[in-house]
Amino acid sequence: MSDVAVAVNDLTKVFPIPFRRSKVVAVRGLNLEVAPGQVYGLLGPNGSGKSTTLKIILGLVSPSAGTTRIFGRDSREVGSREGVGFLPENPYFYKYLTGEETLFFYGKLCGLRGAALRARTRELLTLVRLEAAKDRPLGGYSKGMLQRIGLAQALVQEPKLVVLDEPTAGVDPEGSREIRDLILDLKRRGITVLLSSHLLAHVQEICDRVGILAHGVLVREGRVDELLAIENQTELVLENVNPEVLAQIRRLLENTATRLVEERQPQTTLESLFLAATNGPPSP
Amino acid sequence: MPESKPGRFSLTRIAALAGITFTGLVRLKAFYFLLLFAFLVIGSSVFMAELTFQQEFQILKDVSLGAMSIFTSLLAIVATAQLIPRDLEDRTIYTILAKPVPRYEYLIGKLTGVLLLLALSILAMSALFLGLLFVREQIVVSATLRSSAGLPAAEVEQAVRTLKASAFNANLLPGIVLIYFKAALLAALTLFVSTFASSNIFTIVVMVFAYLIGHLQATARAYWLQEHGAGWLAHALLGFVALVFPDLQLFNLVDDIVAGTAIPLALFARTAVLGCVYTSVYLFFAWVAFHGKEL
Amino acid sequence: MTRALVVVVLLFAFGGLRLPIESALTEQYHRAHFEQANLNLSLREHIGQMSFVAALSGFRSLVADFIYIQANAAWERTEWHRLLLLFRQATTLQPRSLLFWEMAAWHMAWNASVAALHDSNLPNDGLRRKTQREYLALGRQFLESGIRNNPESPQLYESLGRLYREKYQDHAAAARCFAQAASLPSAPEYERRFAAYELSFVPEREREAYRILRALYDRGPQERLPTLVKRLKFLEEKLDIPLQERIPDREM
Repeated sequence: MSDVAVAVNDLTKVFPIPFRRSKVVAVRGLNLEVAPGQVYGLLGPNGSGKSTTLKIILGLVSPSAGTTRIFGRDSREVGSREGVGFLPENPYFYKYLTGEETLFFYGKLCGLRGAALRARTRELLTLVRLEAAKDRPLGGYSKGMLQRIGLAQALVQEPKLVVLDEPTAGVDPEGSREIRDLILDLKRRGITVLLSSHLLAHVQEICDRVGILAHGVLVREGRVDELLAIENQTELVLENVNPEVLAQIRRLLENTATRLVEERQPQTTLESLFLAATNGPPSP
Repeated sequence: MPESKPGRFSLTRIAALAGITFTGLVRLKAFYFLLLFAFLVIGSSVFMAELTFQQEFQILKDVSLGAMSIFTSLLAIVATAQLIPRDLEDRTIYTILAKPVPRYEYLIGKLTGVLLLLALSILAMSALFLGLLFVREQIVVSATLRSSAGLPAAEVEQAVRTLKASAFNANLLPGIVLIYFKAALLAALTLFVSTFASSNIFTIVVMVFAYLIGHLQATARAYWLQEHGAGWLAHALLGFVALVFPDLQLFNLVDDIVAGTAIPLALFARTAVLGCVYTSVYLFFAWVAFHGKEL
Repeated sequence: MTRALVVVVLLFAFGGLRLPIESALTEQYHRAHFEQANLNLSLREHIGQMSFVAALSGFRSLVADFIYIQANAAWERTEWHRLLLLFRQATTLQPRSLLFWEMAAWHMAWNASVAALHDSNLPNDGLRRKTQREYLALGRQFLESGIRNNPESPQLYESLGRLYREKYQDHAAAARCFAQAASLPSAPEYERRFAAYELSFVPEREREAYRILRALYDRGPQERLPTLVKRLKFLEEKLDIPLQERIPDREM
C-alpha cells in the first residue's frame, strides 16, 4: 500500500490521426500526486487533456509513455479499480432501469450481493436524496438527478478514491450546490476525490489542491489558497464601519510603505443570490 | 467488502452484465419488429397453398423453418451490432469498465445477453411453429378419419400413420438447435466486428455480407482445394473466402430434414461442438481486438 | 496498428485450422444425403442468380416450394414446357423431396402426354404420338433421377412400376420396379404382391409368378385378396397345375 492515492509519472499520451502522418499530443510529460483524503481539482479549458488523464488513470485508455498508479497499483491492472468510483462527464445510464436497479447493477459489478447490496443501495439513495425517485426509470430523471445517481453509482463499493469528470457541468446552480455538498461530505469521510472542471468558480471552494492543464501540460499546481493569494496584498472586510474609523485607517497608512489599492462594497455572488432567492441551502 | 475478487472470473458480474444486456435488447423496437414479422410469416404459411396434405405440411415446415433461420440470424446481427457502440455513445461503458470488471467479462456478459435473447426468440418461434403443425395435423387426421369411414381398420391406421409421419418428424428438433448455433456464431462474429467498426451500420453491412458469403464458403472452399486451372487472382479470392468466412451451410440442415433426411446423432453432435468452438473463437478474437482499445 | 495485424493473422490461422474440419464434416453430411453439401455453381445455371443466392442463404427449400407452386399454376394454364422447366428447377433445388419427383413425373407422363395426343396445334397424328412418347420418357427420367437421389425410398420405385404398367404396358419392367421397392426395408407389404401380379402377365415368367403368388397365398387369409386369388386361378389354368395342388374355389 502506498501513501499516495494517485500518482502520475511522466505521463504522455499521443493519439495518432488515422490516415494522416500528424499526431495529436493530448498529454505531455505530466507529473502529479494526490494525497489520500484530499480533494484535487484538475482544471483547464476544454481539450486541455483533463479527460484523457482521468481515463488513463482509470485504465480506459493506455498511456503512450509514463505510468499512473492508484494506491500503488498500476492502472493497467483491473484490480487497481477495486477501490475506485468514477462518474464520467454527462453520463447516460441505461434509461430503462430505475434508480434502484441501476445501483443494484453497479453493486453486482463490484461483487456485492443479497442483503449487503440492498442495504448499500438504500443507504446511497438516501445519501443522494433520490429515495422518492428510486422506482422511476432513469429516462425520466433530470440532469441533476442523473448526476446524483451517477455519483451514487460511483460510491457503491465504498471506494477510497472517487474520480469525477466535470461533475457540475450542465447542472443548474442548485444541483451543482448539492453535488459540491456531496463532495465535501466525501472529504469529511476521508475519501480522496479527483475531479476535473473547466468551471473554476465551482471548484474553488471545494478543492484542497488544483492543477491547471493547458495543451496537455501542467502549467500551475498547488493549494488553492496559495495559488489565488496575491502575495503582497491583504484584504480587510469590515462590518458596521463608520467614516471616522475609515479616516483613521487611512491616516494610519499615510507614513508607511503600504498603499491602499481599492476601497469597495463587497458583493455577493450571483450564484449565492440565486440560491437564496430560490430557497436553496445558504452558501457557507 | 467485495465478495468476489476483482480481476478474477466472476459469474455474478457476468450474470449482471448479461441480465442488463438482455433487458436492454428486449426493449428494442427492432426485436419486436423482427419477432412479429417472423410470427406473421410462420402464421401465414398455413394459408399459403391449398394443396394435398403432403404438400401442405412440406410448405408449412419449409416456410416456418426458413423464417426461423433468417430471423434468428438477422436478430443476432442487429442486436449485437449496436451493443458496444451504444455503450460508448452513452458513456455507460466508462462507468462499467471503471469498476473492477475485466474487459473479457464485459464481452462475455454482452454475448450471453444476446444468446439469451436468441434462445427466447427461437423458443417462441418453435412453439408457434410446432403448435401450428400440431393443429393442422389434427385437422387433417380428423378429416381423413371422416372420409375413410367404413374402410378396413388396418388401412385407416396406415393412412393416419403416413399422415403423421409427413407432419412431425423428430429430426426437426436437432435442425432447430443448429439454427440456434448458427445464430450464436453470427452473434459472436458480429461482436468481433463491432469492436473495430466505426459505426453499427458498418457492422451490420459487413455481417450481412458475411452471412451470404458464409453460405457460399463451402463452394469456394471446394474449388480452392481442388486447385484446378483458375487464374491466381480467382484462386486467391477463393482462398480468402475459404479462410476468413465460416461455413454456414454446415448449420443449414433443416431443408433436407423437412424433405425426410435423417440426421445421425454423431453428426449432429459434431456440428454442435463446431458451433460452440466457432462462437468461442470469435469471442476470443473480439477480446483480442477489444482489450487494448482506447475508449 | 499491431493489434489489427494480430487479429488478421489470427483470423487466417483459424481459417487454416478449421478448413480440414469443415471439409470432413461436409463430406460426412454428403454421405448422409444432405444436399446442402452438394450445391455447386452448376446449380446457378439451372435456377438463375437471384434464386441461387436465396437458395444459399437458408431458403433453398422455400425457393423450391415457390417454384413448385408456380409449376402448379403453369399446369392450370396447361403450359407444358414451362411446367417441365419449373419441375427441373424444383427437383434440382430439393432432390430429397419425393413429392417433387412424383408430381413432375405424373404431370409429364399422365397429363402432358395425354394433352399432346389431343393437341390440335400439331399437324398430324404421327407427330402427336411422337410428342406423347417424349413426355412419357420425360416422366420416366424424372422418376429415375429421383431414385438416384433417394435410393432408400420405395415410393419412387413404385411410381416407376406404375408408369411401366400403365403407360408402357411393360409388365416385366414394372415387376422389376415393384420387386426393387419390396426389397427396401421401409416398403409396404403390397409391393411384393404388385411385383407378382405384373410377373403373371409376362408369358415366359408365369411359373415364377405362380410360385410367389402361391407362397403369399399360403401365408394366410390376410394375403388372399380378390386380385391375388384371381391371378392365381388364371395361372393354375395356364400352367395346368394338378387339381389337388390348386387353391379351393370357395375363396373366390
